[in-house]
Order: sequence, then C-alpha cells, then structure tokens
Amino acid sequence: MVHAGSMYVIQKTERTVVELTLENGVTGLGETWGTPDVYSLAQRFAKELPGKDALNRFALRDFLGKSTYDNRFGRNGLATLAGLDLAAWDATARSLKMPLAELIGARKRESIDVVSTLPAAILTKAGTRKDLTDHLDVPANTRLVVEFALEQVRKSGFRSFKLKSAAYSPEWDWKLLNELREAMPKARIRFDPNANYGVATATELCRRLDPLGLEFFEDPTGELEGIARLKAAVKTPVATNMWVVKDEHLVPAIRRKAVDVVLGDLFMWGGIDAWRRMARTAHAFGLKPALHSVYETGIATVANLHIASALPEVEYPNDSGLHFLSADVLAEPQQVKDGSMRLPPGPGLGVTLDRNKLEKVTLETTQIGGRQP
Amino acid sequence: MAAPVSIAHTHVHSLRVASGAEALVARVLDAGGMAGFGFTLNLDAGVARDMAAWDALGRARGVPLHGLLGGSYRKTVKLVRDGVPAIPADWTALRKDILDGRHELLRIDPFAWGSVEMVQTIAAVAAAFDLCIALLAPNAHPWEIQYCAALAATLRGEDTRIIVRTDAAKEVNVSELPGIGIDWSLEPSFKKIQWRN
Repeated sequence: MVHAGSMYVIQKTERTVVELTLENGVTGLGETWGTPDVYSLAQRFAKELPGKDALNRFALRDFLGKSTYDNRFGRNGLATLAGLDLAAWDATARSLKMPLAELIGARKRESIDVVSTLPAAILTKAGTRKDLTDHLDVPANTRLVVEFALEQVRKSGFRSFKLKSAAYSPEWDWKLLNELREAMPKARIRFDPNANYGVATATELCRRLDPLGLEFFEDPTGELEGIARLKAAVKTPVATNMWVVKDEHLVPAIRRKAVDVVLGDLFMWGGIDAWRRMARTAHAFGLKPALHSVYETGIATVANLHIASALPEVEYPNDSGLHFLSADVLAEPQQVKDGSMRLPPGPGLGVTLDRNKLEKVTLETTQIGGRQP
Repeated sequence: MAAPVSIAHTHVHSLRVASGAEALVARVLDAGGMAGFGFTLNLDAGVARDMAAWDALGRARGVPLHGLLGGSYRKTVKLVRDGVPAIPADWTALRKDILDGRHELLRIDPFAWGSVEMVQTIAAVAAAFDLCIALLAPNAHPWEIQYCAALAATLRGEDTRIIVRTDAAKEVNVSELPGIGIDWSLEPSFKKIQWRN
C-alpha cells in the first residue's frame, strides 16, 4: 500500500541517531533528520562538544553559534543542533536521575494522545504522477482513506487524525473530510494541505469545512499574510508548521494574529529550550503550541511525549508517525493504545537503544572522541 | 512550572533581619528529606515556598538552579543603581505594553511576580521580542541580590542586570552551589529558626 500526500510519497525515513556520552559514563540519546546534509553537519558540530558541560545546554547552543547553525546552514543547522541538544538534555536528566519531562518543567501527564496521519490517497502500488491523479479523479476512492482511518481506530484506538491532503482537488478534500466526520463523529481531525492551495481557493474550501468542527486547518495556504487572511475568514482554528518555524517568525505571527496554533517541530525550532521558549511565548499571547512530527524513531517520539507532559501550554495531541514504521531502534516498543502513548518510566527519556535493531537499519556510523559505546 | 519536586513538608517562619525589616523564610522538605529554603521581604509566602522547592530540588540533585533550568549565560551579573520603577506585576498590561513597543528593558521584581516559572515565562517573551531583563532586588538585601543572580544566569540578553536602589558593587557572581545559591549565614537570625521536624 502506498500513502500519498501533498509533498511526497513516503516509503522510508532516514534519521540521524546521536549517542552523547558524558565523562561520568552516562549516555544520552538524540535524534534528528537523516538527510546527508544534517548527518554531515552533526559530525561537524559534534566535534566541538567534547570537554563542554552538558549541564549548561544554553552554552552548547551559544558555543555552536547562531551564525553557524542558523544563518549559514538554515534549517539543517537548527535540526542538527536539535539532535545534539536532545542528547545533552537526555544525558543531563539521566545523570540527575530525573525524567526528561521534569528537567523540562514537570511530569504532569503520564500519557499523551497522539495523532495518526491519514494519507490523501491510498494506492495499491507505487506509480506515476498520472496514476495518482487518475486515482484522485475517482470520487469513490475516498472510501479507501476512510477505511484506513477506521482501521487505525480498531487497531490502536486513535481519536485524533491528520489528513494529509494532496491539494489536487478541493472537492476530493471536502468529500473525504465529510466522510471522515460522518464515520468518526467525535474524532479530532486536522486538515493539512501543506499550503498547496492558493488563498482564495483555500479560504473558500475552509469556509465550507467550518461546519465539520475540525480540530484545525494546518497550513491551508501560505505564506504568513495569506494564512492570516484565511484565519480572519473562518471559524475553525488555523495552525502552521510552515510559516512560524523559528524564533524570528513568532513575533510577526503574534502581531499579525496570523494563526491560532503553532505546530512546532522540535527539529525545526532547534532544540528543547527553543521549543519551550516558543511554547511559553505563544501561550502568553493566546496562541496554542503543539508538537509536530514526521516519521521519527522512538527516540524523538518519546522526546515529544516528555515535552508535552512537561509543558502545560501543550493541549493538543502530538503528531506521531512511529506506528507506521516497520522498525524502530529502541528496546522498549513504543505502542499506541487507546489513542495515546505512555511516557516510559525512568530517568531521561526512559528508553534504551537496541543495538541489534539499530545495526539492522544503520547506513553509516561515525564516532567522535572518546571510546566506543 | 513549580519545581518538579515531591514536597513532604513545608513551613514558613517570620524573621527579623539585621536591618530591622521582617522577612518570611520558607523551608521545604522533599520526599527524600532534603531541605530547601526560600525567603522574601515583601511578605508573600508563596514566593518563598516556590524558591524553597527549587532550592530543595537543586540540593537533592547537586546542581545550581541554572543547571535545572537549562544552563547559564553568565558567571557574573551587572549590578546597577537605578531609580526607575519596576513594571507592576500585571501580566495583561505587560503583554500589551510589549506589543506596543513601550519597553526596551523589562524591569521585573521577581519577588512581586511570584515564581521562578513566571520569571522564565517573561524571559521567553523577552527573548522573542529581543528585550533584556533587569531584575530588581527591592531592598538590596544580599539574599535578594543572590537570588536575582541565580535567575539572571538563565536569562538571555547581554544587557541582563540586577537593579538596586542604593549604591552597590558593580557586579555579583552567580553561585555554583547546589540550589538557589544563597548564603543563609549572612543573616545570623536564620540559624536560630526553630523548624518543626
């Protein structure tokens, strides 16, 4: 089965896993994007870390320098920083014998509702762009997505869904969302066409969708100005994971009243403290922070659970794609039950790497300083 | 974000400090029996309890406050005499003023704003709006200055400072002692407190 969305057809995910070992022997785990650029930057940045104090995570960020991780390398730099930062937070929490959630703020919740992504369309096999559009030209094919959603309910009790629209046809999206609402009257459903509709089309579609009581429209259009105009025209909350993705975007979004929800991705924002500051600032001005995720291993998935548990500003369910992956790297399976995932017990993230599982999916390994774990 | 510590016992004691002023000193015992202390000279026991809980957590884990909050931006903090009034502890008004661009330096009295969490929230907002924070030690008491220094360590912004109403030294060190880093022996009457249990 092939899942298609507006940005890509996903058949695999590549991630960079970070192990950061302190002088006291405690190892923290981190994870970030697995693109060649980020993997390469992770090696480069990591060379600067030996000898630094993991207790001072702010200094790690400052040491690497904004011009290095942000201006020069853009998103890749921030994502790299986030992976190393997560490992430093985990190592610190493990050293202090505190759950990561407590080090971030507090362990307020033991289980966090998670969102199951729904593809725009489900094809029986990989094909061409024309195969996809031919499929989307058949209105009856929406039922495959509805059936897939109901299967997620039966298997894992999901109560929250994100429809990844292909933005091929407003009529397809309107029909599919109506069918999803009819099939799951109480479900939280978010709609994400990744800003592939123009402002006028998106606004018209979202107005028609208003009566469905969706959880929010995620990036129904772009950019910040366009999404602000759409927000002013609809009743359903509007979220973004595309136009407010770093420190500098937040204040303009607050001033423009552009969105209701900042669906922040830990790896876009550049780490735990940056995400926490975003959440506090957004919440202070009436915006709701929520956790975005793509297809991450259990490490980042669990990190997001800790963040959601720690910060009372987070009210929406977490995005999660772990349940779609055929393999993970953790010894403890992270499962979705009754639509939620539980925080693992124990200090730090509360998880351990399964080296056999890791080895099976490893493409490349680099060790920087110190001894082999 | 109250300190993530399981509190077994808490007690607040009224104390006459050397200057003649009245202080409230709080002691928190965590579930493991570790004691933490906090104080205030503005007679809001909540501030003292919040401080004491963070102190207990830091002492129990063997790390200074900044280690718990994420890190430290500085080892010393500027101490500046400044007569400008602190911003009243009114979050709604402050947010409006920030949006209206009425501040370049947020003069915050952490004892009036009530908690470490509140200061951290203001700090996040200040960072987003590229504003610096000045923490007011309202009575210029050494404990107040030390607590302000512990908080100031965690605040971004090169113009972060502590403000006092009287002449003072030019800077103060951030303590690396576990907890909130206050030298309680500076007030001899502290030792005489009879804590229950």
